[in-house]
Amino acid sequence: MCGIVGILDRSGEAAPVGATALAMLSALGCRGPDSAGIALWGAEAAGHVLRIKPGDGSDLAARRREITRRAARFGRVRPSPGAGSLMRLCVETTRPDDVAHAVEDVSPDVEIVSLGRRLEIVKQVGAPQSLATDFGIGASLGTHALGHTRLSTESRVDLSHSQPFWAHGLPDLAVVHNGHITNYHRLRRIYEQEGVRFYTENDSEIIGVYLARKLRAGARLDEALRESVSELDGSFSYLAATADAFGFAKDPFCLKPLLVAETDGMVAIANEERALAAALPAGYRAREAGAGEVLTWSRPAGPSSRQVRRHRRAVSA
Amino acid sequence: MKTIDCTSLSTRAINEQVRRLIADGAREILLRSPDARHNLAVAILTDAAITIDGSVGYYAGGMSDGVRLTIRGSAGWGVAEGMLSGTVVIDGNAGNGAAASIRGGTVVIRGDAAARAGIAMKGGLLLIGGDTGYMTGFMMQRGRIVVCGNAGPALADSMYEGIVFVGGEIAELGNDAVMSDAAPEELAEIRAVLGQHGVKGPDAFRKVVSGRKLWNYDKKELEAWKAAF
Repeated sequence: MCGIVGILDRSGEAAPVGATALAMLSALGCRGPDSAGIALWGAEAAGHVLRIKPGDGSDLAARRREITRRAARFGRVRPSPGAGSLMRLCVETTRPDDVAHAVEDVSPDVEIVSLGRRLEIVKQVGAPQSLATDFGIGASLGTHALGHTRLSTESRVDLSHSQPFWAHGLPDLAVVHNGHITNYHRLRRIYEQEGVRFYTENDSEIIGVYLARKLRAGARLDEALRESVSELDGSFSYLAATADAFGFAKDPFCLKPLLVAETDGMVAIANEERALAAALPAGYRAREAGAGEVLTWSRPAGPSSRQVRRHRRAVSA
Repeated sequence: MKTIDCTSLSTRAINEQVRRLIADGAREILLRSPDARHNLAVAILTDAAITIDGSVGYYAGGMSDGVRLTIRGSAGWGVAEGMLSGTVVIDGNAGNGAAASIRGGTVVIRGDAAARAGIAMKGGLLLIGGDTGYMTGFMMQRGRIVVCGNAGPALADSMYEGIVFVGGEIAELGNDAVMSDAAPEELAEIRAVLGQHGVKGPDAFRKVVSGRKLWNYDKKELEAWKAAF
């Protein structure tokens, strides 16, 4: 079934979208109790922020050191101690792809969970609330966020298979999906022949790969979403966002729920209204997205990242 | 008027309380703080008046017979599904499959309906104050749908019988759906029903009915079927 949520704060200020996404996800916990995750776009970092699954190993501390050492080949690295089970590195580099490859070369089970100047993804097996206790996501500020709570139907339950999915190879693009992509195997074969690495057996992973190819070829997010409605098969309601845009796409047969509510201050999207009620003050009006509908919003021009950081310090003080 | 505050109750407890109040003779019940949860006020088999003070999730008022339900908000998927008789009024918008398979009664959506509104209706009336989505009236067997606004694609697709009236634009007719002429007395009846529910509809409606071409097997399609199987 899966619960998906999205929140965009229209003030342009650093807003508590982490707490909002968490509240929305908690309202949808019953749609998917096995894993949960949140993608959050915050202040622009001084470099690229990597969230990394260090994998398993007999000496995990040594592996973490090795990951940090390899990332440092490409620029100054600032690790965040105490970032939870997913390592967090900020790397000042102009070659984020090379950093990602070098880090993942440490071991086959090392995986970049997210990479971007604004984007950070935290996810794991467990209920949404565990994201607050393990990663402090409830205190994170930003402009927009996506969330996912998973009911696995066909692929395994572990961190890698949980959502949101970062679109590997394209900084700051992430996706959450409810449904089933039925031309997954065909598309995957095509992409693999072109050298794309897949990290999971989860059909939802293909959406990020698909969108990343479109965006790299010069399409805007809204154009890529619109083309996906006819090029992806199956039942889907999915949300996608970059550092600058946020939107959804729904399959042409309207097979999965997706409710949208816009207020002056916020855009909230979820596949049940319970989640909208957790995000918005009373008086909003929810509507079901239409068959094949695509809608996107731009991140409002906000304060400089310096202001956001100052605000973040004030909140955490 | 009896009031139930849903805040700290499970959905099962809410529905049990509604049933108990009705058994004790309550005629009017108000549910406060519904929190858009699913399956509220389902399978009510009397004409008790139930008001839900906010939005609801899936299947509100489903499987009911006689209930007079008012939803002061939006409704999720399958509102009033399988209703036999009664009246369900939604002040806001409704999700997919509103009034699916109803056999009788009236469902009023003051806002917009989503995809497959009135799918497989077997009787009754679905009144939509705003627009309606994809495949409205799909495989409808009896009853009427009145759409005051615009209708999405595949309207009345594969309908056996049943009538759909549309006040606004029709994006596309479904398979075997055809335009027909509305009799003056039909339109007068629609206007009366609209007035009864305080819905301000347009002046004119167009009527869509089944072309009845799918009722019987068409030998000309034999080759296509052979290829398919």
